[in-house]
Amino acid sequence: MLKVKVYADRMSQPSRAVLIFCKVNGIEFDEIKVEISKRQQLSPEFADINPFKKLPAIVDGRFKLFESHAILIYLASAFPGIPDHWYPADLSRRARVHSVLDWHHLNLRHGAAPFVLHTVLAPVLGLPLNPQAAAEAEKILISSLSKLENIWLKGNGRYLLGGLRPSIADLSLVCEIMQLELLDEKDQERILGPHKKVQQWIESTRDATRPHFDEVHKVLYKVKEIIRAKKSNQGDGVMQSRTKTPLASKM
Amino acid sequence: MGKLKVYADRMSQPSRAVLIFCRISGIDFEEIKVDISKGQHLSPDFTEVNPLQKVPAIVHGSLKLFESHAILVYLASAFTGIADHWYPTELSRRAKINSVMDWHHSNLRNGAVNYVINTTLAPALGRQLNPKAATEAENVLLSSLKTLEDIWLNGDGGFLCNGIQPSLADLSMVCELMQLEVLDERDRSRILSPYKKVLQWIENTRTATNPHFEEVHNILYRAKKKFEQQRARTAETRTGPSNKVDEHLDSICVIWMQSQDKVVLTEGNLCKRQENLTADTHQRKK
Repeated sequence: MLKVKVYADRMSQPSRAVLIFCKVNGIEFDEIKVEISKRQQLSPEFADINPFKKLPAIVDGRFKLFESHAILIYLASAFPGIPDHWYPADLSRRARVHSVLDWHHLNLRHGAAPFVLHTVLAPVLGLPLNPQAAAEAEKILISSLSKLENIWLKGNGRYLLGGLRPSIADLSLVCEIMQLELLDEKDQERILGPHKKVQQWIESTRDATRPHFDEVHKVLYKVKEIIRAKKSNQGDGVMQSRTKTPLASKM
Repeated sequence: MGKLKVYADRMSQPSRAVLIFCRISGIDFEEIKVDISKGQHLSPDFTEVNPLQKVPAIVHGSLKLFESHAILVYLASAFTGIADHWYPTELSRRAKINSVMDWHHSNLRNGAVNYVINTTLAPALGRQLNPKAATEAENVLLSSLKTLEDIWLNGDGGFLCNGIQPSLADLSMVCELMQLEVLDERDRSRILSPYKKVLQWIENTRTATNPHFEEVHNILYRAKKKFEQQRARTAETRTGPSNKVDEHLDSICVIWMQSQDKVVLTEGNLCKRQENLTADTHQRKK
């Protein structure tokens, strides 16, 4: 039986969600690194896997699939022995998981990803900063965090929808929020600080998926250090390569 | 379990998709109209059903659910006798349908909604166009149409992912595209006519779900006529809104603005206007 191939870049939030899900659930797979910073997703070979040239993507036998939520649902359904809380068999609970996964696209993801891109990540990728796009994205991000805090995390459980155990929705959304690690401390505090439930939820999800969560996020922490170092060396005006300098991880 | 309740406004594309699906599948339900133009989605009663105050939403027994794709998937799974092609049990086929529904949010929906608002609604109400937003939206819309034509409609099936019969994804996305009916005819033609497969696919989906498709879209066709009349009037007189028909168009504008967080937050003029209209609605209710 051929192993599932997972095409991923660990700098990509949805890639991380799929990798962590596979590892936590003991799904045998081959991780095939596709580095966005080197534009490897634009290669003809990868376009054959995913004509949209985005990550993550999977190949299971002859079956090719992209869009991380569709992938998570497929894996949770196709592999035996996956605990029910990830993707409940009960139709009502399952439907609620779908509803937050759907909400995510034009809310949390729509705010968080562009905000991080247009404030700190752009220089690392050699792109110009865009303060207007950053401001728009920030509004959406803050509105989404507020909805998470007050609506989606309502209830007795520590997870979305009052869940006592994490679902694929928790994993997907928390991986998205982790991208905010790249922001400077002040921005992180300003944006995340008021949302106590959100912070607890991130910790719960991390806890429930140890040690894989931190292991998969290592590259993100490394890039965080590089960005910090670059900021404190401001005035150089020269962009450093992100892979050449080995830095001791704080984690 | 009590009868399924579907909270919908037929001017809302995802509301229409849910209504048509229920009808075509013979699902017994009660349609509860939530008139966004009257601010009914902001009422405490409706907020109980959906704290995010959007349509469509359903109540089925103790389940309260919103987000149209989640609703469609739930209905296709929870009710008996639903034809398999809507949401196949075979996992890889199902996964493909999930993937196009995921793609939809940030692509076709995002482009279509913002394009209609920034071209048709603003001028119809004698307000400032936001050419930049219109151009951005048009780019997203055209890119999405091209993607549908070249990738999602690849093959001879006639439906998305080479399907030979419609799935939930087809219904959802064709309802979205129907919103373009309110555009100026030349504009609509300019945008859609290069995409032959897309045009055929719209027809296929319509045929597969008639007469319910047409019936549910009636309100949209009436809105289309009103916009045409308004455009003709504006062209003749070059004045802004001044009468009852225009107030109704004003309300329709509110529908789309309020249903789109992104647009409300980024369109300065429209945003202010929406706040005023919402305040008016609350004032009237007191």
